[in-house]
Amino acid sequence: MRVITLLAAALCMTMQAQDLNLASFEQVWNTIRETHWQERPGGLDWPAIRAEYRPRVIAARSTDEARTVIQEMLSRLGQTHFGIMGGAAALDLGEVGNANATSPGSAVTGMEIRVLGSEIVVTSVEPASPAALVGVRPGWVVRRIGDRSLQLNAIAQLPEYVVTHAVESRLSGPLGSALAIEFDTGSDTASGKLTLTLNLAPGRGVLASFGNLPPTRVAYESRRLPDNIAYVRLNVFLDLPRVIPAFDKSIRDCAPCAGVILDLRGNPGGIAGMASSMAGFLFREMTPELGTMHTRDAQLKFAINPRANAFTGPVAVLIDGGSASTSEILAGGLQDLGRARIFGTRSAAAALPSIITRLPNGDLFQYAIAHYVSRSGKELEGSGVTPDEEVKLTRVGLLAGHDAVLEAAQNWIRSKQ
Amino acid sequence: MKLTRRLAITLLGLLPLHAADLPTAESILDRYVAVTGGKAAYDGHRSEVVRGSIEIVAAGIKGTLVRYSSGGMSRMTMELPGIGAIDGGYRDGVGWQDSLLTGPRLVDGSELAESKKNATLHPEFRWRELYSKAETVAEETVNGEACYKIVMTAEGVSPESWFLSKDTGLIVKVATTTTSPQGTIAVDGIASDYKEFGGVRLPTKMISKLAGQEIVMTFDSFEYNTDIPTARFSLPEGVAALVKK
Repeated sequence: MRVITLLAAALCMTMQAQDLNLASFEQVWNTIRETHWQERPGGLDWPAIRAEYRPRVIAARSTDEARTVIQEMLSRLGQTHFGIMGGAAALDLGEVGNANATSPGSAVTGMEIRVLGSEIVVTSVEPASPAALVGVRPGWVVRRIGDRSLQLNAIAQLPEYVVTHAVESRLSGPLGSALAIEFDTGSDTASGKLTLTLNLAPGRGVLASFGNLPPTRVAYESRRLPDNIAYVRLNVFLDLPRVIPAFDKSIRDCAPCAGVILDLRGNPGGIAGMASSMAGFLFREMTPELGTMHTRDAQLKFAINPRANAFTGPVAVLIDGGSASTSEILAGGLQDLGRARIFGTRSAAAALPSIITRLPNGDLFQYAIAHYVSRSGKELEGSGVTPDEEVKLTRVGLLAGHDAVLEAAQNWIRSKQ
Repeated sequence: MKLTRRLAITLLGLLPLHAADLPTAESILDRYVAVTGGKAAYDGHRSEVVRGSIEIVAAGIKGTLVRYSSGGMSRMTMELPGIGAIDGGYRDGVGWQDSLLTGPRLVDGSELAESKKNATLHPEFRWRELYSKAETVAEETVNGEACYKIVMTAEGVSPESWFLSKDTGLIVKVATTTTSPQGTIAVDGIASDYKEFGGVRLPTKMISKLAGQEIVMTFDSFEYNTDIPTARFSLPEGVAALVKK
């Protein structure tokens, strides 16, 4: 009797999960039907899509399976900023359909990585971080994390920002946990392979929350480079109450400086309005908008309100394939307005304003609500921001201690003096 | 075919609107004042403090709001987690906004006219002072409720459509367009959950839809005739500096 009761309870839970998954599917499908800026989302027959995927969600034997079906439906749109986050997000390269399927762990290695060619290369190491403590150096290639090697064919096939975020997720974990990483150090000795164990520690920056977004560490860095050049770096556009006053101070402190470098490499976006807000500190007079987002029934300009203490000297913005969304809105708009010179490599081409909401089954659902057109009339989704000066990081340069992108920006500002 | 369609449209334009069959806007709006408390109750209010919450439902963002109004001056502050304070107001012909998103800003044109109008206590009661024209144009159903649609026209701002229930006489929807540096955006607001404060029944919930987003404002309290220090309406430092320019 007790077994039957247990089975009944288990069955009941399964049916409840099924109902929640179906309700989640309906919410996702309806949201896109009601809010997508195209009458036929992604050019698709949306009712036909429902007829195709609904039975598969009903037949799904687990929430993971239902999530995969919903994610597959979203991928049919062929547009960024549509995704499901939930459960044990698939972290293996090749399984990751979008960057948002990963969520940052509570502790990290303290090293930044980027995709250079078909390799994952360390581009910087935070002082006193776990990576610094064991001697990791920029230019080293990450070959294996824990017991998983990185699939080079997947790296080559996926967008750079998707790969970067997936690898970053694998480089994070619970505070104090140990992570064995195999590097190719580029050394001539033996094979150059070296396996180091890093004890993960809290990342730099402040943990910030915003709506349904998972808590995220926001790191704002401001320092002065040689020749009186101000350098500002932001890893994500969140924590507006802390970041905007900090940017205000950086600009005020810069009153006599030769130029400002805004480093948005690896910045995946965040609160879209922060692009307009930060742009305001770079204009003293009324100026046109950065661009316009188009929903199904409205057009919203990313207007710039000039600030009294705005900096009017040369501005360089650094971007790469990890610079997405708000980063692209800001960099692309400043480029179109002739206010900044852009250095680095082409941005992620993922610039759709979006919202993250919670589904009945507990998963998070990110959906784009508009498409975005930069000031010049260019749609950044799918094309990205093309730098004025394309500069690529190289492993050789990193091993020699050079950041070629930053140096190019510094040289340009010096040339303006 | 095209010619037939054009002719049909032209003929449609010639059809009578039957406006004469509809009650006058004046009678509908007077009824609103009567069913929500009456002239004497409205006339007795000299100042207002509104407290409540604001929620962007889909994004999971919820914050607070407080609004002060007195003597043709107003100030409203919203606090949203992750965004900070969004402040705005009107006094002595100056309309302004200030937030970390925009920085201090003076408003002008239709934004200024809108700020001035919104600084008036109970605009629905004082509509004769604020609007140059009020016209009943149709009967429409709002959320299953039969309503009269009144177009309210005021100088310098976009026309507003007010929908008042034929049954209760209450305002159930306001549709308008609002202008800001972001552009001109259509806003539909559904008013509900009327409760009595200071002898007047007021909607305590407003669900606004704009640019595909739903924003819910819930008003917990309306306090009347409390002494609001004039300093409450002072311009923030950054705004005052713009006025001096």
